[in-house]
Amino acid sequence: MRQTSQSIFFATNPFTPGGWKPWRPSSWPRMPAAWSIWLCVVLLSATASFALTEDERNNIELYKRLSPGVVNITSTVLERDFFFNIVPRQGTGSGSIIDTKGYILTNHHVIEDARKLEVTLANGKKYTARFIGSDPSTDLAVLKIDAPSRYLSVIPMGSSQNIQVGQKVLAIGNPFGLGQTLTTGVISSVGRTLRSTNGALVEDIIQTDASINPGNSGGPLIDSSGKMIGINTAIFSPTGANVGIGFAIPVDTAKRVLQDLIEKGHYAYPWLGATLMTLFPDFAEALKLPVTNGAMIVDLVPAGPAAKAGLRGGDKRAQIGNSIIVVGGDVITALNGQAIEDADSVIREIRKMRPGDRIRLQIARWDGSRDEVTVILGEQPRRSRW
Amino acid sequence: MLMCKLKGWFETFALLLWTTHMLMCCHPGAAFAFTQEEMNTMAVYKAVAPSIVNITATTLTYDFFLRPFPEAGSGSGIIFREDGTIITNYHVVAGAKRIEVTLSDGSHWDARIIGASPNDDLAAIRIEVQGRTLQAIHLGDSDHLEVGEKVLAIGNPFGLGQTLTVGVVSMLGRNIRDNGRILKDLIQTDASINPGNSGGAMVNAGGELVGINTAILSPTGSSIGIGFAIPVNKVKQVVPGMLSFWGRWLGWILAVLLVYWLFRKIYR
Repeated sequence: MRQTSQSIFFATNPFTPGGWKPWRPSSWPRMPAAWSIWLCVVLLSATASFALTEDERNNIELYKRLSPGVVNITSTVLERDFFFNIVPRQGTGSGSIIDTKGYILTNHHVIEDARKLEVTLANGKKYTARFIGSDPSTDLAVLKIDAPSRYLSVIPMGSSQNIQVGQKVLAIGNPFGLGQTLTTGVISSVGRTLRSTNGALVEDIIQTDASINPGNSGGPLIDSSGKMIGINTAIFSPTGANVGIGFAIPVDTAKRVLQDLIEKGHYAYPWLGATLMTLFPDFAEALKLPVTNGAMIVDLVPAGPAAKAGLRGGDKRAQIGNSIIVVGGDVITALNGQAIEDADSVIREIRKMRPGDRIRLQIARWDGSRDEVTVILGEQPRRSRW
Repeated sequence: MLMCKLKGWFETFALLLWTTHMLMCCHPGAAFAFTQEEMNTMAVYKAVAPSIVNITATTLTYDFFLRPFPEAGSGSGIIFREDGTIITNYHVVAGAKRIEVTLSDGSHWDARIIGASPNDDLAAIRIEVQGRTLQAIHLGDSDHLEVGEKVLAIGNPFGLGQTLTVGVVSMLGRNIRDNGRILKDLIQTDASINPGNSGGAMVNAGGELVGINTAILSPTGSSIGIGFAIPVNKVKQVVPGMLSFWGRWLGWILAVLLVYWLFRKIYR
């Protein structure tokens, strides 16, 4: 009975007073104490001299596991040369496989105006990609390739909610079209804002000192647990090559638009239909307004959601100091009961909603009266299709 | 018999615990776990960031038609004492008409220069913060730096706002010539240092200040991976003299006395 209750992993019970001894065939001689000390020294020094650091092992493991999920995208754009001949120009970018069906997430500016999109997987196989959808306002786009699912290694999406400055990041991409490249760095700061090519503000941008160069665009920014936390998008550089300041769109933004991009081909933005201007306290004082801060409506889109709700835009010009501003419009002082300090915060709040949602705006009218208006948000009209 | 059975279960449980522990610690891609390296970087940034400030220095320059216009340059600074004494590079605040300091919490303060040492490219400025204590940085020892040691650079490159970059000490004891003056015994690093990082902190893995980021070598004017920092031991040597009355005026007083003495000799 005693024998059967012993665990199979231990030759002898380690909890006996004699302590744990490694099992040794009785035919072998006993090891002298000096030998075992020598063995320990040899083993320890061997591990110390050959072992990679924990950080290096982490980098290597992540690169091995995730690099098959990063693809190179070659886009062919048709241009006219000096003699108006049509010449194809090729650009390169990167993308990440987000799904075993073959959906690839990349930047809008990588595939913009492309006539032909070719995707090269990490194993060298080339596929012609189909355009699925894109959102210029967040500079994101989705492509699809018809590759067998055994070639499609998915890069898991994490969350960019709890990232911290100092955290390690890995950028995998295709800089200058050189081929797959790993660069590492840290998160330099979070919460930067970036303007995309169509002038829309992208929030919560991640800044990193991992080398990001032209061609890295669209590639994933990965944290030390192997989850995508951003999409490498832009760099700040006077020279065009990396100076240690790269920007990535947070993955939470991508998660928000991704479903719509795959299903509808575009993301429907909620829309107020009004041009806003931040009302600074000195402006408010000069204009003798009853409020100090807020977002002043400069212009309204005719028959837009704000116009339908009875908001009024500016109709007069006034010069304050050196600037000429359009005055006479309503001033938004609160949105859904939350005080509004500037125009950007209105845009930020509306961005969190969907078309069809109702918002309550507290406004100060030009004549000194205050009012509350409910606006049903519309869908932002798209200027042009991709 | 019951005890034996319990012992057996206990062993199994211990083994399970040990296996999971080993898996979690040794498995490099263990989810939710930061590596030691990152945890250190994050902790150091959190500890040091409140001591780093952004400096906007407005100088008056003249345009083509000799009309004066203000030009704002950005740099970084380090809170040296709790009373609001900030050290930075001399070239950040040189000739500034107005110096504005932005603390890491976002508040703006007007600063004045209280000491400068152009030859060492160091300057001290002060913001008057009544009823509020600032977090001063811990000064380390730059004599014990090693090539290959991790350093963190915190600053305000291109005026973007507070930014952390990480690299290693590339070389020690560099001498560079920077428009006429020679800066000696600098620390070279490959952490990205850009215009606007000047005056910012270089801290070691223990969160202690080891240098003040000062210059870069670059054909383009932005980082190519060669940055230089003034070692903190130089700062320890120079800054107290810059701030004290005798340190600032002793040389002048001696010079005036000497001239006086010479005149007395000649015109006796």
